[in-house]
Parts: sequence; structure tokens; C-alpha cells
Amino acid sequence: MLPNFNYVRPSSLADAVRQLSTPNARVHAGGTDLLGCLRDGVFAADTLVSLSAIEELRGIRPSLDGGLAIGAMTTLSEVAADPRVADRYPVLSRAVAAAASPQLRNQGTIGGNICQRPRCWYYRADFHCARKGGEKCYAAEGENQFHCIFGGEVCFYVHPSDVAPALVALEALVRISGPAGARSVSAETFFVPPSKDYTRETVLGPGEIVTEVVLPAQPRGTRGSYRKVRARGAWDFALAGAAVVATLTDGRVTRARIVLSGVAPIPWRVPAAERVLVGQRLSAKSAARAAATAVEGAQPLAQNAYKVEMLRGAVEEALAALL
Amino acid sequence: MGHDHDDGKGGCPHGVSRRGFFTAVGAGAIGAATLGRAQAPAAAPAASAGEPTKVTLHVNGRAHTILAEPRWTLLFVLREQLGLTGTKVGCERGECGACTVLLDGVPRYACMTLAFEAVGREITTLEGLMVGEQLGPVQQAFLAEDAYQCGYCTPGQIMAAEGLLRTNAEPSLAQIRTGMSGNLCRCGAYAHIFKAVKRGSELKKAGR
Amino acid sequence: MKTPELYFINEAVPDTALPQVKPEPWAATRVVGTAQPRVDGYERMSGTAVYPSDLVLPDMLHAAVLRCPHAHARVRRVDASAAAGMPGVRSVITGDAAAADLRWNYGRNVFTKLFDPHCRFEGEAVAAVAAETPQQAWDALRAISVDYEVLPFVVDERRALDVGAPALHEGGNRVGDVERYERGDVTKGFAAADKVVELEFRTAAEIHTPMELHGCVARWDGPRLTIWESTQGVYPVQQRVAGVLEMPLANVRVIGSYMGGGFGSKLQADKYNIVAAVLARLTARPVKLFLTREETFLCVGNRPPANMRLKAGARKDGTLTALEMTCTGTGGAYPAGGTSLVDWLVRDLYACPNVHTELTDVYINGGPSRPFRAPGHPQGAWALEQTIDALADAIGMDAIELRLKNVPTVSQTREGRPPYTTTGLTRCLTEGAKAFGWRDAKRHPKGDGPVKRGVGAAACLWVAGSGGPPSTVIVKLFADGSANLNMGASDIGTGTKTVMAMVVAEELGVALDKIQIENADTATTEYATASGGSKTVPTESPAVRDAALAVKRQLFDLAADELKVPASELAIDGEDVVSKKDQKVRKKIAELAGFRRRGVLVGVGTRGPNPENKVVNPFAAQFCEVEVDTRTGEVRVLRFLSAHDSGRVMNPLTFESQVIGGVTMGIGLALTEQRVFDRQTGKVVNRNWHDYKIPTAMDVPADITSLPVAPPDDEANTTGTKGLGEPVTIPTAAAVANAVHDAIGIRVTESPISPMRLVALLTEKRAGR
Repeated sequence: MLPNFNYVRPSSLADAVRQLSTPNARVHAGGTDLLGCLRDGVFAADTLVSLSAIEELRGIRPSLDGGLAIGAMTTLSEVAADPRVADRYPVLSRAVAAAASPQLRNQGTIGGNICQRPRCWYYRADFHCARKGGEKCYAAEGENQFHCIFGGEVCFYVHPSDVAPALVALEALVRISGPAGARSVSAETFFVPPSKDYTRETVLGPGEIVTEVVLPAQPRGTRGSYRKVRARGAWDFALAGAAVVATLTDGRVTRARIVLSGVAPIPWRVPAAERVLVGQRLSAKSAARAAATAVEGAQPLAQNAYKVEMLRGAVEEALAALL
Repeated sequence: MGHDHDDGKGGCPHGVSRRGFFTAVGAGAIGAATLGRAQAPAAAPAASAGEPTKVTLHVNGRAHTILAEPRWTLLFVLREQLGLTGTKVGCERGECGACTVLLDGVPRYACMTLAFEAVGREITTLEGLMVGEQLGPVQQAFLAEDAYQCGYCTPGQIMAAEGLLRTNAEPSLAQIRTGMSGNLCRCGAYAHIFKAVKRGSELKKAGR
Repeated sequence: MKTPELYFINEAVPDTALPQVKPEPWAATRVVGTAQPRVDGYERMSGTAVYPSDLVLPDMLHAAVLRCPHAHARVRRVDASAAAGMPGVRSVITGDAAAADLRWNYGRNVFTKLFDPHCRFEGEAVAAVAAETPQQAWDALRAISVDYEVLPFVVDERRALDVGAPALHEGGNRVGDVERYERGDVTKGFAAADKVVELEFRTAAEIHTPMELHGCVARWDGPRLTIWESTQGVYPVQQRVAGVLEMPLANVRVIGSYMGGGFGSKLQADKYNIVAAVLARLTARPVKLFLTREETFLCVGNRPPANMRLKAGARKDGTLTALEMTCTGTGGAYPAGGTSLVDWLVRDLYACPNVHTELTDVYINGGPSRPFRAPGHPQGAWALEQTIDALADAIGMDAIELRLKNVPTVSQTREGRPPYTTTGLTRCLTEGAKAFGWRDAKRHPKGDGPVKRGVGAAACLWVAGSGGPPSTVIVKLFADGSANLNMGASDIGTGTKTVMAMVVAEELGVALDKIQIENADTATTEYATASGGSKTVPTESPAVRDAALAVKRQLFDLAADELKVPASELAIDGEDVVSKKDQKVRKKIAELAGFRRRGVLVGVGTRGPNPENKVVNPFAAQFCEVEVDTRTGEVRVLRFLSAHDSGRVMNPLTFESQVIGGVTMGIGLALTEQRVFDRQTGKVVNRNWHDYKIPTAMDVPADITSLPVAPPDDEANTTGTKGLGEPVTIPTAAAVANAVHDAIGIRVTESPISPMRLVALLTEKRAGR
């Protein structure tokens, strides 16, 4: 059962930012992650500030540089159904379609999706873990089959989003509004690894709201794909996955972005694997070499060594889909 | 009782069922329902924790003005305040789909939707698919294909199917699977559910 | 062991009278055997069916239970003072309350208090609240502070007997003695074998998680208590509640006309029934108490995990020479049949002269088990049917052929080796294999790329599934020819009500839409055992037939006068009574003057005994095809075929529903489901439907074929039926595992075959380890 909270639904962004400055106020976007956290007592909220009445946060429009700007309150279904996204950013439309369930995609927003809290089963239950201010990460020595093989430090969760790796692969920009005005950060720097700060997942400061995600125009010859491996056919987070984008000129890769899902506390870019591809023809062979490079340096926990090979397979298949 | 129902018949359809159950509705409800369409965007109330606040919800083509608290989910209001128990409780955490309703024609989990968030939206529940006393086409299809066993997830399955068919009148098997992948059925009726969605599509086309 | 046919019934059951006549088996049927949509389909499709969780009574309160958050703890002190004063709170009860001073029997002779200070599993009840709204009840629970002494725990049944493992009960962690079974001499049997294989297996614990939550509404009227319960059996709930509250049975009425799934977890009363009744009494108001989804993962049952070692020997010609099984399992923190029936298939599925089994049941700090769709059998099938496959490989014989070599005609375990009324196993295997295209599928290339295809099969019988007495039903025929059927049994989603209405329609010619059914109410319907064990149709349908025949006899007596034809020469033809000798001599039932004066004919029917010295068991064989992505470990089930000897098919439509449901649930055991304990705290970490993964629409094939192969079993009972609901899920997981082995040559002995496990095994294989 949900505990008590106050509720406001401002109709302007400015008002929302103002309302967020009240003590222990939280943003309600689609609500799918927030209400679960409140129900499970992961954190409490005195006031929910709903963004659902703010029209300017909704919809997909062309951006000035020829890309697309997606309002933070645009639902995942709306993103998936947009022909411009499907045509120019297939990595994103596939990632969106792989997320959650149809109903959650109808409700969950792109802004909310990249602000999800960790899905670690200790964090979400009544364990007073490090991220919640406790003494230790229970996953480190516990049931860590779904935890990270890259980037773990103090806390070992994996970033739950399928959308986020796609955005990082596309070099998207995240626009933010807050008490100090508006700012933009690259999707790649939006997420905070535990090595920097294990109590937060994003760079959002107090009172800040994600307002828009901007997809830059992609060079001609750019292809993209997303491969997600999960334990169940739907409604499940990635065990391992890869968002890949590659630009091909005259049959050779001139630019590649490979970003992993399900294996690290943030969308995990693997520049070394990208470098393997650049200058090469895209082939089963080069895909396999890039995949092998992508898993280098993995540090599995006691129960998730399987992720290394699974990830290799996922990267290989994601790249193979570009052929 | 504070509610009219679309069939216009006297009495409350949830009064006494043929199985001897008794139900009463509307413990926290005020005012009479009126016919009307949702007007978007409606100003949702700023409401204090635990404070009953007046809101109007548009359910199955009728406006219901009730007193609700901020933490009340649409699921709780539909079942406990409006007596619309066709919408089922399975998990209250967005993980089963038994509470699926349509918001502006689109399937959503009522358990993960605050009632306040549904203000200004057209809400359709299982009861809203009935054509008077007759089952609607998707309901008929589920019955004919035996696309259920215990029947508890079925209202949510039907609503998900209805939502799918409203955006895709003739879905392929793959599209049906994906469209129905947000609704668990522990009895495992999926294979029949796929058939029912197909039949529902045909019945809808035929205007049944 | 207990009579297998009634394996889950703990309370006394009444004897019922013998039927007055033993009718001939149906020669030809008009309604029975045709595909009929459910008679209660309208209610379920329209939303007018009021399930117990839908019920709202005037002035009703909402209750919630505070549960122990530790795997093992002792409650030192509960402070509920803050909770008691919170808004809307009407009653708070803790272990100190006089009203809660009640004894709860956890099986065998183990009793605890309702709120016992010694909490032996996470989720044990500690206190409860009733409030005006469910939200207020939960607010109050959060305000109760409990001082726990946290105790050492053991949650791994493989460690429960280790030296130094914390003991749950005085006398240690063994639940009784090791259960041993022996026939012949396995040492000699293995010596006589050309090939012997030995494998170790494990199946993970599964949670039932029916869609409707467990719970009830309780209301008192003076000394009388009514409970609306989501249950598979109203009578067992009545008996337990009356026993705990020391009330007359007649004063405890349990109603469960609709229910949203149980799979064995709703065969019995639970502590929450008592809590709801006590809170309703204390507040003098009706109380609704439904568990949350998370609670249902902790304290209302599970399929116990099984650790099995199986050794099998055969001669080159496929003759089985010996089978040996040991199993360690656990029913959780209390005696709950942790290894119950795990070895039954090893003992009885195949003809084998030398069999030895040993079952060790231990306590762990986990929620008590409950029967879960074919207790013990899917676990046993996982081990046996994979071992048989391995044995077939070892002797170079087709796996179906090997099974066919060893089909038994008698129950080898039961005393006197009684014969089966029918052993449909041969037909299931041969006709199933043919319809599936087994030979061709086996020869089908596995695939050159990283995705491999394979096929697998597995077979089973189900220890129960005969049904049997007691059961009483009443059929009333009204003067206009419409009928009412009154029976105590629950329809748990299998279509019981529909099948029973079809029996009435068959005998009395009443259209299905003119039959009203009352069921599952201890006050107004007749005694029935709980619906479970695949026994509801074979138990109830003969009783319904008997009741309908009793009505028919009375009707013919009345008609005989009016038509001047001896009663013995009359028949029913549509809505008419007709002379068998002269079809022109007929009259509408509704126009019989004598009947109109009588107004209603009442027939009481009972279930007669099963055949003496014979065993009635259903048999099945399943076949499937899978695809394995060897890079990622993902398994896709492409198609399934399920061949059944379950006697007469009463309604092919609901029969097929059972088949696809059982296969779907079995795919969960095979691929996705497992309860996970945290090794550091003993707490369950996957207590919701995201972390505990049951199959979705994406995880099952659309192509599931139901193939009934056997004729009616006329020796079994007067409708020729045998159980179905269990056999449909017993061999499924094993068939998937065999198909995975066929595809990639890896035998996955531990469930589930998740991508995590499979990719690890594939990696090992590639590394040549």
C-alpha cells in the first residue's frame, strides 16, 4: 500500500521547478517506477510533483540541427510508434520496444526511463544497503546473478534502462531545467557511476527536471540495432545487451558506438571495441572481434560469470544485425 | 449508492449477485454521476496527504465526482469507490496486468496510475465494453475460444486485447503476442488467448 | 503413506451412501464429448462474477498482517500503542491479545500459537490490524514496532543436516525418518544391466502465485461466522476454522463460488482466516483480509525443491533392470511433505523389477510447502525422464522405443500389484510420436548457425486422478423442464461447472442455458472434497449422473402413467419423454400433468466406489521442439504436443485449455521459475512477479496440440473419466530439457534452464571442461 503524500500537478515547467523546491518533493512522470519505490519503501516522498499537465514536455519535433527533440514526458510507446525515430534511429526504436511491457510503455516516459532507480532486489526490498545509507552492498557477497560485471564499486547494480544505452550510442543530449535555469549534458555524462557517487544515478541536482532528449542528426550510412538478452520473453530487464550504431562509408566503418546494457551501473560504452571496427569492413569476423574486445576487463561477481559470454554473444548479434 | 449506470435500469447491478454475494459501493463517493465526456486537460487538484479532495473521473462515458486522496490509485477508486470490480487486483505493482483499463483508449495498469492522474482522461473498464446486457466482441471472442480458466486475469486480458485492436485492427500472431505480453495468466491460457484476439478482430470487423 | 487418491486431505471425510443403481456406460452421447463454452462464461467475461476479493460488505473493515522480516527470529516484544491510535484503526491484535490465544496446527503434531513468538520463516504472522481503509491498515502496520531476537538460520536444504546447522525444532531438522521403498534387489539389477547411467538433478522451489490473491471476508451474525474465501474447497476451510475457533461446524459457513486460481495452494485454511474472524469479532464488523502479492511468495505454499540422484540400468534390448533414487527435499519450516511423491514415477511409471528409493525430508527456515499441481511428480519426472533419455543414448535406442519396452500393466508399488483399468501409456507414446512427427523431427538437422534445434519427449502417470467417494450432489428438475444443480465442489478454472451441467443435459435433455448451478457453499451445497489432485471430474461427474438418473426415474414413473408405457421402456428425446418402442408415443416433459402438480423432482446422487483390486491412473506423453541460441543461452519452445489417456473427454474445449495451461506452467518450471533465498539473511529476494518469473505470452508456443488417445475408462466409474489437470504438467519440463539436450548435447540437470545457467554450461563445454 502506498504511504501518504501531497500531490500537485503544475501546468508550467517553471511552476514545477518551484514546487520541487518544497521539502522532499519528487517528480512524478509516468509514475511506473516512482510508485513502486514508494510502495516498497525504498524512499519516501512528502510531495509528488506531477508533470502530466505540462504540455511543453510532450511530443517529438525536429531539432534545429536536423535531428529530433523528444519531450521528456513522451511515452515510450509514442517514441516506438514514431516513423521518424524508426527510420533514422532504429537503435532507439528497438530499445524502446524491448522495454518493460506494452502497458508500461504506454505509461512510462522517456524522461522517467532514464531516471529509473536501480532494480537491484536488495535495494528494492527491506535491506538497508549502501545506496540507502547502510553499511554494505548485499549483492557483493549475496545473490548477485543479476548484478554488474563492469564498473561496480561499493554498489553493484546494473542500470535498468534499455533506452539509455541507445541514447548514449546516438550521442544524444539531455536537456535539464532547474532552479538555476536550463542546461544540457550529453547522455554519456548524464549517468553517475558508483565510483563517483554511489548514492545517486544521474547528475540531476535538487529541483532539476529532465525536459527533453535531443537526438543529433546521424551521418548518411548510419545503421543501428539493439540486442537484449533476458530471462523471460517480456517484462524483464536485460541480463546483457548492446546498443550499436555504426556509420559505413564505401563499405567500411567510419564511426562506431557500442554501448552495453545489463552489465554495469551505467550504460557502458566500450571504446576499445568501437576502435576494432573503425576502418574495417563490417563482417561476422569483425563483429566477433569487436565482441571479444567488448568483454575484456569484465570483473564478474561470484554468480554472474555467465554474463561475459552472454554479453559477447549479444554484441556479436547486435553487430550482425547491421550487416 | 450515488451512481447511475449506463443501462439506465433501476438498482445497482452489484447489489446481489446470483451467487449470493452482497456488495455495497460508494463508501467514499459523493454526488451523482452525470453523463459527459472528459475534458482535457482538466486541472487536477493540489491535494494534501490524507485529505479527501473532490475530483471528477470519466468512466465508461459517465462523469463521477468523488472525494479521493492523493495516494488512491485508479484501481482502488474503480473497485472500492465506484464498485466496478471487473477491474481486478493482482499485484498492485504493475507486474501482472489484471487491472488493465484503457485511458483515452490506450491500455494502462490502473494499479500504477494515481486516480488524480486519470482526471481529464476517458477511462474504459471491462464494464464499458458491454453493449447493454450483451458481451462486446472481444468478450464474446474470449468466451468462444475458452481463452481463460479461472477467469481472474481475463478482464485485464480483454482490455489489453481491446486496446491492441483499437490501434491495429488485424494484428499478426507476432503482434498479438507482443500486444498481450503485459498480462500474466497463471492458468496458462495464452495459446487460446492468441486465438481469441484473432477472433475478436474478426468480430469487430463484422460489427458484432 | 496416505491413500494417494486423497493425498491432500487431512481432515475426516464423511462416508456417502452407495448409488442406488449402477448405470450402463454411455453408449452414444449427445452433449457430453462436444465442445461447449463455459456455462459461467458470461459472468466471467462481463465482470459480474463476484470473486471473494471483489466482495464489499456494508460497514466492512480492511485488515492487514504484520509479518516477521527475518528467516528465523524470536519476538521479544511488540509495541502497537502508536498504531492503535492512528486514524481509522479499529483493532490491533498481537500475540499478547487474549483473542489471539489460539492454537494453529502446522501439520502432524506440530502446534504453534496464532502469533507465535518463535518465527521459523520470513513471513510468519506477528500482529494484525483492522482499519477503515486498506491504506490506513498498512499505515498502522508500519507504526508497530517489534523487538526481534534474530536467530541463526538455514535455508539451503542441502545444508540443513550439517553439523552445526541451526535446529528449527527440538530434535533437529529431520522431518521424521528417511522414507524407504524397496522391491527386488537393485544390486543384482545393476549387475544384470548392459548399461548403467547415474545422474544428479535438482529442481528449484516454485511458488504457486495464482492470479487472485489469497484472502477472505469474514462476518459474524451473533454466534455464526460466514467466510467468503478464495478456495479450492469450502469444506476443508470450514473444518479447520471451526476446529481452531472451537465452534460448531454448522456455525461456520464458507462460501467460495468463484475463485481466481489455486494450483494446490488454496486447498486448506490459513492463519489469515482466523485473523480475519478474530478481528471481525473484536470490532463487530465485517473484515476483509487479502494478502499482498509479496506475502504470497512467503507464506502460502510452494513446490518444494528436490535434490535427486538417479541411477538406472538397462539391457541392450531396452529392458530396465534397476532404478535407484535418493532425494533430499524440504517442506519448509514445518512438516509439509517436502519429498512427498517425488519417487512415485520411479516406482511405478515403468516396469522394473528392482527399485530402491530413499527420501529425506528436512526443515529449513522457509515458508511451508503446499501441494502444487501434481506434488512430487514434475520433480520426479525431471530426473526420471532425463535419465531414461540418457539411458536410451547409452544403449543406442530411440528414447520412445525404450519407454515402450517398459510399459507396465500393473501398479508395481501398490500391494498385490493390482492392474490398471487402462494403461494408455503405449498409445500416448505411439500416437503422440506419430502426430508429432517424432521420427522426422529427430532426423531434422540441428542447424549450422549458432541457433540449434532439438526435440524431446517425456511421459508420466499421475498417482491419483481416479477420484472417488465421498460426494453428494442434488439435481432438481423444475416443472418447465429447467434444472438446478447443487454441488459442493469448487470450479478452480478447469470448467467443472460446465462439465457437470453437460452431464445433467445428457441425462435429462435440458439445454445448458436452462441449468442453474449452486456450488461451493458449506451452508447450501452438499459435501465435496476440495477440487485438486485431478479428481474433480471423475469424483463429481458420476455423482451428478447418479442424481440426474434419480430424477429421471421419478420422471419416467410419472410419465408411465400418462403415456401408458412401462417406465423401463421410456427415454428422453430432446424436451420430450418418448417410448423406446414407438417414437410416436411421446409427451413434452413440461406438459406432464403429474409433474406440473409435483412442481419439482429432486434427485440425490452420490459417488460410488472405485473398482476393487484395480488402479485408475491417467497417463500422458509430451513432445516438444525447441530452439537454443548457443551464444546467449536463450531457449525458445516452438511447439508442444500432449497425448493423454484421461478416459472420456467430457468437453474437448476445456480439455484443451487444461492441456495448454499445464504445458505453460511446465515451461515455467523448465525455463524461468525459482525461489531465491539470500544466503546472508535467509530472506527471499524474489518476492514479486518481476523477480520471480512466470511465463508470459512471449514464452510459450502458440502451437500446443491436445491429443486425447484413449477411449472412456468404463471400468473406472460411470462417466468413464480420469483426471487431467495434473498429468498435463508433469512431463513438460523434462520434455523441454530432453529437447535442449537433443539440440546442443548438454544435459541440464538443474532447473530452470535459464539463459544464465545455459550460457554457463555452453561456455564450459566450449572450454572442454
